[in-house]
Amino acid sequence: MIASTKNKQGKVGAVLVIGGGIAGIQAALDLAESGQKVYLLENSPAIGGNMARLDKTFPTNDCSTCILSPKLVEAGRHLNIELITYADLENVRGGPGHFTVKIKKRPRHIDDEKCTGCGLCAKVDIPQAEELTEHDGELWVERITVDEVKCVQCGDCVRACVKENPEAPALSSIYKEQTYAEPIESGQITAATELRKLRQMSKEQRLDYWRQQMDKCMKCYGCRDVCPIFVDEECKLEEWATPGQLPPAPLYHIARTYHIAQRCTHCGFCEQTCPGNLPLRMLADLIRHEDSRELFTFVPDVSEEQKEKICAAFAGRKKKEDEL
Amino acid sequence: MSSDFVLTTCPFCGCGCNFYLVVVEGRVVDIAPCFTDRVSQGKLCVKGRRAHEFIHNEQRLTKPLIRKNGRLEEASWDEALDFVAEGLRKIKQADSADAIGVLSSAKCTNEENYLLMKFARTVLGTNNVDHCARLCHASTVAGLAAAFGSGAMTNSIPEVAQADCILVTGSNTVEQHPLIGTRVLEAKERGATLIVIDPRETPLSAQADIFLRQKPGTDVAWLNGFMNIIIQEGLADESFIAERTEGFDDLAKTVANYPPEKVEQITGINAEQLRQAAVAYARADSAMILYSMGITQHSTGTNNVKSVANLAMLTGNVGKANSGVNPLRGQNNVQGACDMGALPNVYSGYQKVTDSTTREKFEKAWGKALPTEVGLTVVEMMNAAETGQIKALYIMGENPMLSDPDINHVRRALEKLQLLVVQDIFLTETAEMADVVLPGACFAEKEGTFTNTDRTVLRVRKAIEPPGEAMPDWRVICNLAKCLDGDGLAYDSAESIMTEIARTTPSYGGICYERLDQGQTLAWPCPSKDSSGTKFLHEGTFARGRGRFHNVEYIPTAEETDEKFPLILTTGRTTFHYHTGTMTRKIALLNYEVPTGYMEINSEDAAQLSIDDGEKVQVNSRRGEIEIAARVTARVPKGTVFIPFHFVECAANVLTSPALDPDAKIPVLKVCAVNVSKKS
Repeated sequence: MIASTKNKQGKVGAVLVIGGGIAGIQAALDLAESGQKVYLLENSPAIGGNMARLDKTFPTNDCSTCILSPKLVEAGRHLNIELITYADLENVRGGPGHFTVKIKKRPRHIDDEKCTGCGLCAKVDIPQAEELTEHDGELWVERITVDEVKCVQCGDCVRACVKENPEAPALSSIYKEQTYAEPIESGQITAATELRKLRQMSKEQRLDYWRQQMDKCMKCYGCRDVCPIFVDEECKLEEWATPGQLPPAPLYHIARTYHIAQRCTHCGFCEQTCPGNLPLRMLADLIRHEDSRELFTFVPDVSEEQKEKICAAFAGRKKKEDEL
Repeated sequence: MSSDFVLTTCPFCGCGCNFYLVVVEGRVVDIAPCFTDRVSQGKLCVKGRRAHEFIHNEQRLTKPLIRKNGRLEEASWDEALDFVAEGLRKIKQADSADAIGVLSSAKCTNEENYLLMKFARTVLGTNNVDHCARLCHASTVAGLAAAFGSGAMTNSIPEVAQADCILVTGSNTVEQHPLIGTRVLEAKERGATLIVIDPRETPLSAQADIFLRQKPGTDVAWLNGFMNIIIQEGLADESFIAERTEGFDDLAKTVANYPPEKVEQITGINAEQLRQAAVAYARADSAMILYSMGITQHSTGTNNVKSVANLAMLTGNVGKANSGVNPLRGQNNVQGACDMGALPNVYSGYQKVTDSTTREKFEKAWGKALPTEVGLTVVEMMNAAETGQIKALYIMGENPMLSDPDINHVRRALEKLQLLVVQDIFLTETAEMADVVLPGACFAEKEGTFTNTDRTVLRVRKAIEPPGEAMPDWRVICNLAKCLDGDGLAYDSAESIMTEIARTTPSYGGICYERLDQGQTLAWPCPSKDSSGTKFLHEGTFARGRGRFHNVEYIPTAEETDEKFPLILTTGRTTFHYHTGTMTRKIALLNYEVPTGYMEINSEDAAQLSIDDGEKVQVNSRRGEIEIAARVTARVPKGTVFIPFHFVECAANVLTSPALDPDAKIPVLKVCAVNVSKKS
């Protein structure tokens, strides 16, 4: 490994290679062999790129993985190559011999320091998202990564992790990290395990759970104010709760969440800004899964006529609470 | 188009949340939460999220007003300041400087409070300077100073979430200090035991593990009962008592007279439940007490506070992280206004005016001879004004016509004054009675600092220009001092005032704008530039050396119910309004939520008086009467009614009693005998 990367003229003997496909890997290997320190930047969670998807390669008709695999392993193990995967290039400053680049790592939702790479989390059978950790061309992954798009926050992977490695579970802060650009210090309980608990509850227990959570509401209207998609012109959220009453009736929360139901971007701002720490994201998750089309034959923001139906259904509040 | 985000501190409660003011074309159009802020963490309450809405209200004062022919008419600054200067000079010559009283403001910045305090003491030459801390935590300052040596929150806000047991008494934390309420809920989620002791049901009591309801005004009795149980069960921290405290033997003798059964008779708290709560508190590794007006606003307020301090010392829960005695200060800068010496008996940093070495130090620093006698407090000033002893009042950013007890008495007192000067951002009820009204700047229009309830100094930054001719309050005081030939009060910026504060105030010694702007969290005591502030007080040793146990006996409250006035009135606030409503009643959503006052009454009492929910009723006390809509609820116990004091049209303080706690001179706002009857 190169000890110092600066020469006498102050030029830096390190190279940044952008893109971890076959071209990037080959370039990185050549440079590393010639004694340069190489940073290999890749925006997906694994290097390998598209070559592995091909069958035969022109002009030699070689099998593509036969060419790629040894290079992948070599790049992954080379002491002069530092892999920076699942990251984006933010900006570049300076000039030749002297570049300073800023790289933003996306959260993997896994503590790299603690992860032992046992892979148990990936083996958990998650019916809603079977492909949780499978990536095309996943041939050399630095470590496991949770796919934000597919994750349903059931918490099974976390439990697997805790079971294998009870002293220092790596997969413990999925939820919190997901909402921050940079990981923050947090050893908190994840919303994932919370959801799991909730799913194991009976109907009455669930009703109690939500009553207790919703009693913490301080009625700041922050969940509405910070929401990127909430449009309050017609809905007038205040009118779903009795003025001056604290905490507001649960109907208030249900009305708000249904209002954004299918459009919710899951940015998590509502939960982050809630002074009562209500699990608003989970509520949104649940309401999204309980399809409003089946319950009310109503799709939000689609039909005026159907709106009356949902309003009538809201009047019988009991039904809503049972359903949760 | 110009736009900007300005990080500043919330002007409402004492939590001290930071948020961004969104400024477009010189107008504040929105508030954006700041997710990296230590206190708020991007969470805000209903008031904070709308703190920008009153800034551009058309009722803002934009020009000085002078009373001519009985009406307030617009005038120029020179005219107004000359008028004030002339008036003050005349009274000073004809009577003495002590015929002038000054009320400073817990809503203004540290710099402005320091300056007004200095103005009163050097230019006017009187110690008659006080502010509304007298009405909220005067007993805390007196009581905790006697017990520990320092009258402030011992621990910091983030520590609340880490405590193992939280005892909340006399504080509606979730409604009045929402961001501290968040921490309490977090602690609860973590598994902490939450004990709430309050006569009234609050949103927090619904979450509590143990919720006990005492009769208003019987706090000393249950606190002594608590200690009795702890000593009986052998849960007292004996090594802490031996090493760090004094006076324990006397206390043990006193509390021995408060067995739980006797306490049950006095307070109405079930003896067994009291035992459970006491044991839970004493067994916890780190137990924290949060209290507020329900402890302090009594004729025995100082005793209540001393009793709370006794309890914490008995279990060794002071001077370590995640524990302590934490009075929650009500206003954004009430801690700062006290620190800055806007009190009749101390200079900045609680340095006593009666101490001759301190006085000499300040005389040297300010280059003026200083008055030696302790001045008058808020309620005493009002009494003195009525008897003619005080002839002029200078009020900055306060509204005693709504906040002080017994408003009819306050009105009579203010009417008798020769000169009443009010400096404010709106024409408040007090300003309407003034001879001169000077327009000030609100929090978004000036530079400065606030000190929040956990002693942290926070920056207030200027986002926009004040409306019309209004100017920052510190500049008004500087200009007025110039008219009165007061040298030593010429400052060119708020920062230069802070530099002087750091020089004269030991506990603020290391605080400067440069460090605050770097984002450092500085909680006093911060004696030098090397110090990084103090997270929790009394580590290793108490500020006064050894912690002192005080013998406190239960004394029934000064205001007793009788046949004519059978119900107890307790006053307070709602989460939707702030104090006298000067700012919050100009915010649309808050007015939608709570448009006017109401009286909470227990359904049993209501049935007895055949009062329906929403019906207008008449409430009388020994001092006055108001008309108000009844709200029939189980939130208040039988025999007690509750009225928020924000609303001028049904002001609770018309009814309240100006009886004072003998030590701290705090009025007994939490207990007042009233009679409720159907509207005739």
